[in-house]
Amino acid sequence: MKSKVALITGITGQDGAYLAELLLQKGYEVHGIKRRASLFNTQRIDHLYRDPHETDRKLVLHYGDLSDSTNLIRIVQEVRPDEVYNLAAQSHVKVSFESPEYTADVDALGTLRILEAIRILGLAKHTRFYQASTSELFGKVQETPQTETTPFYPRSPYAVAKLYAYWITVNYREAYGMYACNGILFNHESPLRGETFVTRKITRAMARIKLGLQDCLYLGNLSALRDWGHARDYVEMQWLMLQQDAPDDFVIATGKQYSVRDFVRMTADELGIKLRFQGEGEQEKGIDVDTGKCLVAVDPRYFRPTEVETLLGDPTKAREKLGWRPRITLEQMVAEMVRADLSEAERDSLCMKHGFNVFDYNE
Amino acid sequence: MKTALIFGISGQDGAYLARLLLEKGYRVAGTSRDAQMVSLRNLDTLGIRDRLTLHSVTLTDFRSVLTVLTKVAPDEIYHLAGQSSVGLSFEQPVETFMSIGVGTLNLLEAVRFLGAPVRLYNASSSDCFGDTGGAPATERTPFAPRSPYAVAKAAAHFEVANYREAYALYACSGILFNHESPLRPARFVTRKIVTAAARIAAGSGERLRLGNIEVARDWGWAPEYVEAMWAMLQQDAPEDLVIATGATITLAEFTAQAFAAAGLDWSDHVDVDKSLFRPADIAVSRANPARADDRLGWKAVMHPADVARAMVEHEMRQPPRENIVS
Repeated sequence: MKSKVALITGITGQDGAYLAELLLQKGYEVHGIKRRASLFNTQRIDHLYRDPHETDRKLVLHYGDLSDSTNLIRIVQEVRPDEVYNLAAQSHVKVSFESPEYTADVDALGTLRILEAIRILGLAKHTRFYQASTSELFGKVQETPQTETTPFYPRSPYAVAKLYAYWITVNYREAYGMYACNGILFNHESPLRGETFVTRKITRAMARIKLGLQDCLYLGNLSALRDWGHARDYVEMQWLMLQQDAPDDFVIATGKQYSVRDFVRMTADELGIKLRFQGEGEQEKGIDVDTGKCLVAVDPRYFRPTEVETLLGDPTKAREKLGWRPRITLEQMVAEMVRADLSEAERDSLCMKHGFNVFDYNE
Repeated sequence: MKTALIFGISGQDGAYLARLLLEKGYRVAGTSRDAQMVSLRNLDTLGIRDRLTLHSVTLTDFRSVLTVLTKVAPDEIYHLAGQSSVGLSFEQPVETFMSIGVGTLNLLEAVRFLGAPVRLYNASSSDCFGDTGGAPATERTPFAPRSPYAVAKAAAHFEVANYREAYALYACSGILFNHESPLRPARFVTRKIVTAAARIAAGSGERLRLGNIEVARDWGWAPEYVEAMWAMLQQDAPEDLVIATGATITLAEFTAQAFAAAGLDWSDHVDVDKSLFRPADIAVSRANPARADDRLGWKAVMHPADVARAMVEHEMRQPPRENIVS
């Protein structure tokens, strides 16, 4: 039997890497789109990658960009995918305030460009489409917990662009009978999470503090509440959503909520650092109980012009209709992230000791 | 003297708004994508063309927006520009989002960049609500847009809300339900109906082909709606408001009213053509504009049936002309 063909935009990202791995395990032929960059950007999928000179490759990468319709149409025509997973985006909320137009072009129009590519090529009834929607759509939450019927109130250029992508996906499903659906994913993390996202920033910094590579971790809103799951669990749901009789939209979440401060505490616990928080607002500090040193401080530059204070998802529909439930707990995930970042920090520490140059990669 | 800058001045709302603001003593500037080439028929019809300054502006070009804001230095901005046809948005979804979504973003960014205390009105649309199942939409009703046009308008609506909240801009959206007038372009169904009715009354003998006549809308009178736009920028604090008549009738009823005003029985002259049905249409659009009354003291005088009659009466007063409507 011919294997199914999947096309993943954003394959070089956290979710793209986990999803590619999952689909390859399931016997798919996986095609991915990556942007051209002067630096290597395929670290997350290097372990899956096969040299172009080998035959019978199951993972193929194409240069492309969501801002280029001609490019997308050509790739979709070449690949003729059974399933498209649209994971590519300018995905950083804070950055979207700096680059709102770019965010709209890629996150909003990019989604439309792919949907149109599928339609123009006559694949509307053949290709199934998954859109990576986000809990940021709920923004200033209108009810708690948030479900598939909770009204949206986006609070950043990122969320507004994703709102467009969400509804245009629904519109193409209704207007053209496409199998197109939205996964409204709450925050999902892993050791592959980008270093500028708060969870990874925390585990990475705390690991480096532990080894003396860094002094202090600066964060924005410590009281922000989030529903954090593991990306590995969530990509399974992305795949499941495209295997149903009819397309539908789903909230993907754990149903449990913690603050950024909680996440810092759990990370410190994992590293054996005794941390005590004191002070309030911008003056709040995380103090190392043993040494009295300030390890965590607030820097208002990380505040957003409009904050999303609280997000909590209700994954009941995903559980009841698709039998999906998250397997990895937050404690397990923090432990895994800390292990990975500690190992990197140890490598850096070792290199430094032997006189090799080590990059801090501070933002 | 206050200065107003109207993006999209050549359209129906732009023309009526320009007239209103001139009456109020504003200095009025307007933009169009190509101020030299654009049809200024609406401004000519209202006899105000010579009292305005016009600028060529492409909203998708940030530099172009920034330049006109610097040049005009407005106290109030009315953002009425953008691809405005639901039907066309299925054919040209990218252009629709560029002109509406990116255009609005550029305007907000330009206002933010200049840091001037300018007030901004954004033309949002009842299409954002989609099908409310007959329930009257208010400012609290969640959006469920059903066309590329409506999805783009929903995004623009939240862009405005986000910039208001993030940067404390005086910016607000009027969620306007359908509003018609003799200045409506012929591709809009109301205008198509009234011009046909007038021609048939004059003896053209043609038949009128319509799409789904069971759709129901809240059709108001555009010259009244521009007053609400202006009023929204005169409040202490910016707020998004639903602007509508509060009355809804079907397209069949609208057609019946229009033909009756021309002394005709519509059922003798109308054919329903399935090919004119839209891929995903809204069945019933209904509004509760109570908040606009409460906040602005604004209330629609003309209801949908009045609008149908007024449009036909206007058409029948026009000198006879060739059938230029396809």
